[in-house]
Formats: sequence, structure tokens, C-alpha cells
Amino acid sequence: MIDLELTVNGELARVRVEPGARLLDVLRGPLGLPGTKEGCGNGECGACTVLVAGRPVCACLTPAAEVEGLEVLTVEGLVGPGGDLSAVQRAFVEGGGVQCGFCTPGMVMSVHALLERNPDPTPEDVREALTGNLCRCTGYAQIVESALLAARKRREAREGGDRA
Amino acid sequence: MRDTTWIGRDLPRPDAADKVAGRAAYIHDLSRPGMLWGKVKFSEHASARIVHIDTSRARRLPGVRAVITGDDTPEIRIGFLRDNVALKRGRVRQQRDEIAAVAAIDPDVAAEAIELIRVEYEPLPAVFDPEQALHPDAPLVHDRDASGRPVTSNLLPVSVRHVSGDLAAGERAARYVAEGEFSTPLIQQSCLGTAGCIAEFDLRGNLTLWAKTQIPFLAQRDFVKALEAMGLEGRNARVIVPALGGAFGTGLDTHCYEYIAMLLAHRTGRPVKMLYTREEEFAFLSPRQSARTRIVQGCDAEGRLTFRRIDVLQDNGAYTSWGATYPTVMLIPATSLYKVANVWFDARIVYTNNTYAQAMRGYGNPEVTWPIERTLDDLARQAGIDPLELRLRNVNEPGETTPMGLEVTTCGLRECFDFAREKLDWAKKRGQQRGARRGVGVAALVHVGGSGRIYRSDGGGVILKLDDFGNVNVSYGGVEMGQGLHAALTSAVAEALGVTPERVHVNPTDTATCPWDVGTHASRGAFIACNAAIRAAAKARTKLFALAAELFAPEVARNLEAHQRRNPGYEPPNFDVGAACAAGRFQLASGVVTLEGAPAEPWLRLELARLLRAGHFRGVAGQMIVEEAFYEPPSTLPDWSEGVGNMSACYAYGVQGFEVEVDDETGEVTILHAVSAHDVGRVLHPQALRGQVQGGLAQGIGYALYEEVRTHEGRVLNPSFTDYKIPTAHELAFPVDVHFVETDDPAGPFGAKGVGEPGLVPTAPALASAIEDAVGVRIADLPMTQEKIVRALREQRAPRGS
Amino acid sequence: MSEEVRMPASPEYHRPRSLEEAWRLLEAQPDARLVAGGTDVLVRLREGRYHPPALVSLRRVESLRRIEPGRAWTIGAGVSVAELLEHRELAAVFPVLVEAGRRLGSAQIRSAATVGGNLCNASPCADLAPPLLVLEARALIASAAGEREVPLSEFFLGPRRTALGPGELLSALRVEAPPAGARATFLKQGRVRMDIALASVAVRLELEGARCVEARVAAGSLAPTPTRLGEVEASLAGTELDEATLARARAAAEREVRPITDVRASADYRRHLAGALVVRAVRALTRPEAR
Repeated sequence: MIDLELTVNGELARVRVEPGARLLDVLRGPLGLPGTKEGCGNGECGACTVLVAGRPVCACLTPAAEVEGLEVLTVEGLVGPGGDLSAVQRAFVEGGGVQCGFCTPGMVMSVHALLERNPDPTPEDVREALTGNLCRCTGYAQIVESALLAARKRREAREGGDRA
Repeated sequence: MRDTTWIGRDLPRPDAADKVAGRAAYIHDLSRPGMLWGKVKFSEHASARIVHIDTSRARRLPGVRAVITGDDTPEIRIGFLRDNVALKRGRVRQQRDEIAAVAAIDPDVAAEAIELIRVEYEPLPAVFDPEQALHPDAPLVHDRDASGRPVTSNLLPVSVRHVSGDLAAGERAARYVAEGEFSTPLIQQSCLGTAGCIAEFDLRGNLTLWAKTQIPFLAQRDFVKALEAMGLEGRNARVIVPALGGAFGTGLDTHCYEYIAMLLAHRTGRPVKMLYTREEEFAFLSPRQSARTRIVQGCDAEGRLTFRRIDVLQDNGAYTSWGATYPTVMLIPATSLYKVANVWFDARIVYTNNTYAQAMRGYGNPEVTWPIERTLDDLARQAGIDPLELRLRNVNEPGETTPMGLEVTTCGLRECFDFAREKLDWAKKRGQQRGARRGVGVAALVHVGGSGRIYRSDGGGVILKLDDFGNVNVSYGGVEMGQGLHAALTSAVAEALGVTPERVHVNPTDTATCPWDVGTHASRGAFIACNAAIRAAAKARTKLFALAAELFAPEVARNLEAHQRRNPGYEPPNFDVGAACAAGRFQLASGVVTLEGAPAEPWLRLELARLLRAGHFRGVAGQMIVEEAFYEPPSTLPDWSEGVGNMSACYAYGVQGFEVEVDDETGEVTILHAVSAHDVGRVLHPQALRGQVQGGLAQGIGYALYEEVRTHEGRVLNPSFTDYKIPTAHELAFPVDVHFVETDDPAGPFGAKGVGEPGLVPTAPALASAIEDAVGVRIADLPMTQEKIVRALREQRAPRGS
Repeated sequence: MSEEVRMPASPEYHRPRSLEEAWRLLEAQPDARLVAGGTDVLVRLREGRYHPPALVSLRRVESLRRIEPGRAWTIGAGVSVAELLEHRELAAVFPVLVEAGRRLGSAQIRSAATVGGNLCNASPCADLAPPLLVLEARALIASAAGEREVPLSEFFLGPRRTALGPGELLSALRVEAPPAGARATFLKQGRVRMDIALASVAVRLELEGARCVEARVAAGSLAPTPTRLGEVEASLAGTELDEATLARARAAAEREVRPITDVRASADYRRHLAGALVVRAVRALTRPEAR
């Protein structure tokens, strides 16, 4: 077993895990953050997408030991203290980007990662950013629309000086 | 169509906020105190005698709490024909047969224990091809039926036939005849959330099962029977449905793993959770049935259909689930897609040693729409009629009774074709773009739109429970699996009762609290739930207005006093509240009770919550408003031996069309544009509806172009998303023109029809027609992979014999 | 077989910060498995396909993550594909690497997967291999004893087998900046966009006017290892790349590749793709707008 000090959603936690433990298991287990979903366990479906140092990764392929000292952001970390949803999350609610919801946390994180790097994406940019996130319910149309709506919301918030 | 306040609006889905925040609790996220993890040992042979099972090493592994086999547990028979048992004894018939199971303190220990179980087999002859399985010398998959009677053939004793009109006369009347053999593959539903359950017993032997199911009440019935088999007669099985990570038909039957979890929970006295990995989901969950179809149909010189004959051979796999009832739905397109008078339909379903198959979206319909639509293109070519025009000459119309006896109350099929023709620029494009390797194609569908009766009761109930704060708690026994049922139900309750949607709360599905429902299949969820809700709301309104007849006048009198205190000198308008109350002229809208014709004075408005409290707190006369309504659709259970009966309250129609470009070097098909027009009766929730149509379309594209569970001697060769490809956002990068034709069906809630499945159904033949238009190749066996297209192009360039 | 039943031991996990530290670990645990991005190792570990006693992660070894411009560029083995794609200067010099990198997995995979990991798996379908082969990259192999350099074409020995000896690791690639007249492209065919290549091809041409003075062609998923296609190159070099030449190149490609049949595609289809992709790549490179 090894001891790790992880920073997840801005909060520090100390966990003792098997040396090869996956970030996914640490998040869902000892850290009590079940929003990150396991859909396949081999990096194909993207349901476990989280951000590590600002980049989207599959938590099922990430050794927990590797994220020590790096910022980890999960879907729970996008929710504000009063339960305020982030712009991306609100856009998914309004834009119909949610059906069964199992892929949704991963989708939301991939869109969040995209918009952090590219605030004004084209539909093609969105599709490219989401190629690693499988959804079986929506046909993606309303997910892509939600992502573009999120980009608009974030730009407006920035112009308005609000919190994105 | 009646005016509505909430129906037809994009209200926020009630489940969406939790889902985007990662708070929705799926079976994956649930845990119970003291819970153990179960795991199944599956067979390594498709057909073998089990000589010996050695579980001794697994039992000694620290952390293992139970190891069970068929030999040391009660036999639990399951399935449509009761031909399956939860844990096999002595014999395996498919690669995924459950031989043993363990319960352990965590999933890793459970997996390790499974690895330690050794099974000695004596391989037996097997049969994997449904044609060969019908051969007299073929090995019998089952030599006895569920009641122990010897059987002599692999043919299932499930017959669905239909003969109407005079086939010979129809053949004589035909000027052109098209025929062919077609097939559709085994495909995996590919829910993003894998299958799983938690089974827990209380100390009196009652079971609670958290299940990933679409049929909580039929499951309850099955689980109660299993409890009886376990010696627990008279005990209850309670089924609770958590958030579902998709279902698409996987939840239409109970599964061996659920019974095994029950056995393990009973053996250990602790809750037991089972959760499939993705690989297990691919290899050990029942996929959609594959089908081979022979079709002949003909038309006269004007292109009017004169006859249609369809013979289906279905590979059932080793055991029988609802997939064996596919032919009941196949009958719908076979007899009723386009007007055709003389019809023959016969389906044979055959046992093989392949994985036993189940249901998926469309349920037999796409399997038969595929050959019908493909051969219509052939007829159009022979007759020299434009293929869309040929379809219009045979288009279904309202008022029609089809050969199967389906009563077509409303039908917007013609409008759907008109939309597709215009949006695809059909006249300019069909047959005109071969040089650019581009083509357009269309195909249509008919499906049940008012539920589909395949069980004695096709109904469902809704309970509305109003509380002191004006909240309306809604209980319905069907399941939200992502399709937007709770969104539609919220809108319907708000509309029918007269409250705001924020006050409507749909409860989790639980057999202990919800009224019976046959299950969420056949596109029936919103149709049944909203119909039941409308009836329950009407009852609640009657009660509320009876209450108001007594309490409205005194309550608004208090309002008036308060109003006058605040506004000295206020003179109320001349309106006789008492008389209006006595006449029962109440209205309830957006949670406020008013009197019809009353002036718009604020004190004449009574908040629903106040009326409810006034009714509650009135001493010995106090009362609650809790209303239930059970809705049974006006349909009949067909006589399957004749294949006749009006199985649905109404029928959904639609047309999908595509423009594609085909890469003649790689075989890659690029979709440039899609059109999806559906007769939906009435739009309840536009966003959820679009989601259903676009989601079905996407699944149809996978079905058409690349999805297939590949097997070798019954073993799945591609049990991962690495090798079972479903469409990604990249594959759906084309504009989709979605159009809803509102035909306002009299049976529908607010006129709406069920539309969960149609998006998938005509996708493959529409794409095939477009591909043929683009490069001239015809592929009869789905999926139309790049590789098959390249092969067909090569054959086209080098005709046989050269 | 022992009657004793034990839980499988989880491998030790080491995170050295320098190559020197890594050598010491490898010396102590010669059977240790090196981990770069981890996209492959973690899955294989969970599948129980192997049980290394220790994992040595190279993610924290900064010297493996350098990108150094020059006449010959040095690309550290630990550079992630995402970092590779974001390096504007490198993208301008080696656009073919960007083309291939973009087709490697998803955004999530590209964040984690490294250049070295993609090559050291020695999978026939490694997307970065064909472009690096036509760029005639050299593999820098480091060990406690020092460094050696081998041409990438000699690095792949077979499926999952490389020229790395015990105690050695791939530290970087050395890639010469191409001359002005050279241009290259990468084409990949999957069943869907995000897929393991059914076939992939990289072609690099040096042109003088309409004449092809040098052709380099490499293929993925078309032989036991990523490989150069010498016959195809010979068919193109010294020609005007006319239709007859392209037909010969197609035939040569179909002849030269050694694909297998598996659940993804038949050998026959892959062979066909080899020819089709070679021809398509050459056409793309000789289109007027490509010049």
C-alpha cells in the first residue's frame, strides 16, 4: 500500500491505496465522489473523464499515484457551494443534452476541458473533443447543441463579469 | 387540438440537474450495509456435460463468504418457456451458462475466487446455425421441455402465422415481383451503464431487489415464483428501480444474475450486489436477436402492391426470452406497412447453442422493415416508377383496417413522405448523382403508438398524492431509463391537474409504492402514464372541487377581510361567490382555484395549498387528496395462430431519409444529410421527443453500417467497445431535419402517440437505398460494412464469370 | 499445485524523478515494467494478462519530456501526444506527425499517451510509427551504460517486441527536418473515426517539378510490425507519378503487405486498403494545392 496526497476539486485528501490503484477507484471509493462513472474500464467510453492539470483523461486509465501534486477536477467540482450548476452543466439541462445520464458527467467534463482551451468552438471542434465520449441515448445532436450553448453562456458571463 | 399550458413546451427535465451534477444514483453507485459482491462463473463450452465442479480452492480464499452451484441450491426455472435455470446442473448449452457463483467481501476477491473454480466438462455436439439446427440429425439443444416431456426438434413451440386474402390471386395480379433473402445481425444494446442488481432479504424472508429493469412488476411476479422455489412461499419480492444507465430492451426480462444474487443473499444472510463489467455485458447479456428473412412481394403495372410473403427464421440461442416473441411485432410491418391485401407471414424460431437473445428497440420491426423496404426499391426499378412515388401509391391512410386488423385511427405517413421529398430535394437528387458517388434514399415505418398488447393486461396505473403544500407526488410503475418519461409525465400532470410543473414530483419506481404496470416497452411509457395521469387528475379535480364547494367561499371571505384591512374603503365588485360555488363553477390552473366568470380580484383566487390544508385540518371531516387511476388501452390481444388483432390503441408512422456519399475505394459511407419525419400524434415535450428520434436514428446507423456481435462457436469475439463499434459524435456530424406531424390521435394523451422506437426502425433500409443510389450496390445482410461495400463494388466491376 | 490460496500481490509502484533513479530501480527489479502514459498497462494489469513485480513510471522524468528543435529535432519519449500536437513550431516542421497524432485515440487518450509508449508497445497499428518511419526517425535508447541510436525501422522486431534490451528504455526520437521539396501525409482507415487502424499509410515524397526524386512509404496494421514498403517506394521513385505509376504502386502495395484477418477486418480488405491508401496519399501530395 502507498500513501498519496491528492488535490481533488481544490480539496486536499490523504488516501492509502494499492500501488497500481486507478484514479477512478480512488475517486468513487475513499473520496466518495461517485459522479465519475465506469462505463468500460479500458478508455473507450469516456464516462470516467476527469481533468488532470486541465487535461481530460480517463480516470480508469490513470494510476492514482500519477496525479499526486496535480489538480484533479471531477464533475462534482463544477458545482458551486450553494449547489449552483456551472455554465456547462446548466447548458446540458437546458439544451436537452441529458437522457439516461450515465455518460453525462464525462461529457460535461470533456466540454469543460474544451471550453477552457477554446472558448468559441465550432460544432466540428465540439464533435472532435467528444469523440472519446460514447452516448447511446441522444444521437449526440442535443449534446453538441448543449456544448455550444455552454460556450455562449460562458462568453456572456465573462463579458458580463460574472462567474462562469 | 386543445389549447395547453405546459404540453408542448420544453420544461426542464426533472432528472437532468442531478445527472449533470453526477448525483443520480445508478446501481453502480448503490451500496447497502454489510453488502457482499457476487460474481458468476460462466461456462467455457457451448455444449457439454458438466462432469465435476471443484469449488474447494475458491471456498478457502480469504474474504469469500459463499460459493454456490446448481447442485447445492434450489432449481429456479426462468424465461418465457421456463427452459432456463438460474444455475445450471449437469449440462451447459451456451458459452455463457452460469455454472457457479461466489459472494465475497469485495469485487476483486469475488473475481479471484471465480478464477479458482475448476470445472471438468465432457464436450457434446453443438449446433450454431439455425438452418442446420432444423436438420433432423442436428443435436438437440433441449431434449425435454420445461415440464419434462421429450422434444424431437430444435424448433420452438412458438408459432406466429398470418394468412390473409388470396396469395395466389395476388401473385397472378402482380406485373412485377421482387424477392430476396435478407438478414439482420445479433447486436448489443450497449447501455452505457452495465447491468447489475442488489438483492437483500429481511429477517422474515422478504426480498428487496434493486434492479436494472424495465418491467418491475413482471419481475416481481418472477421473483415471487423464485422465492417459492426457494421454499419461501408467501413472501414478498419488492423491486426498486434506481437511475438506469440506458436499457433499450435489456430490461425486458429478468436475468440469471438476479436470481443468483438472490440465492447468494439468502445463503449469506447479507445483501449481495452483482455488477457486470463491460466485457461481461458484451459476452453474457442477451443481445438483440438475429433474423433471416425470405420475402416475395409484387405490384401491378401502376405500382400498387398485390401480395407479400415473408418467411422468417430466427436464431433463438439456447434459451427463450422475449426475443422469441419478435414475430408478434414483425406482423405489424409485414401486414400493415403500406397497403397490401394478400399477405402470408410465417416465423420459425430455432434453438441453437448460441447466446440466447432478447429484445431491443423496435422489437422485430426493423428485422422485417429491412426486407420490405429493400424489395420495394426493386419493384420501383422494375416498374420504372420513382421509388418514393411507388411508396406513395401504397401509402397508409386514416380509417384503414389492415390485414392484421390494425385499426388506423390517425396516420400522417403521406405528410412524412412529403417532408422527406422536399428536404432531400428528391426530384433533383435521386438517381442524379452517381458520378459524385452520392445518393438519396427513404424508408418508412409503422409501429405501435398506443402500447402493444402482448399480455393479458396492457395497462398501467398512476397515483397522485397531493400534500399540504400543494405538491403533487406522482407514482407510476413504469421506468425512466433516459427517454424522458418523467418529463412527459410532469407536463401531463401539471396540465391535467392544473398546477405548475415545479409542484409535480415523480417518485422513484418501486413495486411497494407504485401501481402495477406491464413494463416500459413498445414505446408505451408516456402514452400509458400520461393517459393514466389524465384520469387520476380528473378524479383529483372532482374531489378538489367538491372540497371547494364547501371551503372556497369561507376561505375567500377571509381573503376579502384581509384585503379590506390593507385597503380601507375597498368595495368588492358585485359578484355572488356563493352562487358560483353552488353552481360548481370552479377552475384550477397553475395551482390556483378560481371561479369561472369571476372578476380578477386577487382575493378571489385561492391557492391550491390553502384549499388542501383547509380540507386536511377540518377536524373529524378532515381529508386527503390521493387519487389513483388505472388505464387499460382500447386494444385487443391478438390471436397469434391467426396473426390477427388490433394490438395497439393507435399506430405511429414515420419516414427517414438520407443523402450519403460513398467512398468507392474504402467503402466508407459518409452521411451528408438526414431527414426524420414522424407522425407523433401530438408533441408532449419537444426536446425529449427530438432526443428519442435522434437517438433512435443513431442506433439505426450503427445497426446499418457496423454493429454486429461476432461469434465463433457461440463465443463472443468482440466483447469491448474497442471491437464493437457504436457511433460517436463524429459519425453523427450531419444535419438532421426533424419534423413532427401532429395528427391528434383520439386515444393519445393530449393526442400523443408513443415514439420511443421509431427512430431506429427505417434507418437501415433508408441508408441502403441511398447507398444503392450512390454507387449501385445492394447488400442484403446487415451491417453494410465498408468491407462488404468494397466487395460488392468489386463484383459490380468484374461481373461473375469474367 | 499448492493448496495454499493467496491474494495476488499488487505490484510495487515507483515514480523516479530522473533516469539515474530509474536505472537503479531497473537494476534491482529487472522484471519491472515501465509505464509511460499508462493507457495500456493499467488495462492489461486488470485483465490479469501479466503480473510484473513492479511498475516504474517514467512520467516524472523531466528529461524524457523535452522537445528540442534543431536540424535534427529531439522528441522525448515521454512527450504526450497532446503536447506534441500543441507544439506549434514542431507542427510547422512535421505536419505529418500532427495528422497522425490527431487520429490517435480520443482527446482523453492523447492527454495520457506518450510518443514513446505508442512505439514501445510495438503494436503493428501504432499511429505514430508510419510517419516517423517515413521521416526516418532514429530511436535513442538509453541505459545505465549509456546511449545508443538505432533507426526506427530496426526498432520494431515483432508484435510487442522491440530492440530494447534489459535495462534499456527509449528516451527520445531524433528526426531530421525535411528538405524544402519534401512533403508527407498520413492516411488511416478505421471502421469508425475513433478506431484502431485497419490499415494506415504514411507517404513522403520529394518532388522536383512533376518528377518524384524520392519516395518513402510506410504502413501500419499491414504486417507484424509498422514497416516501410520498399517495393512501393521503388515503383514511385524516379517517375512522374502518372496514372500508370499509381497503378503499379497500388499493385506493389497489395503485393508487399502481409496483413492478417481478425475480428476487425479480413486480410483481403486490408490488402485492398493498402493499395487504395497509397494511391490516395500520393494523389493528395501531388494535387496543385498541396504544392
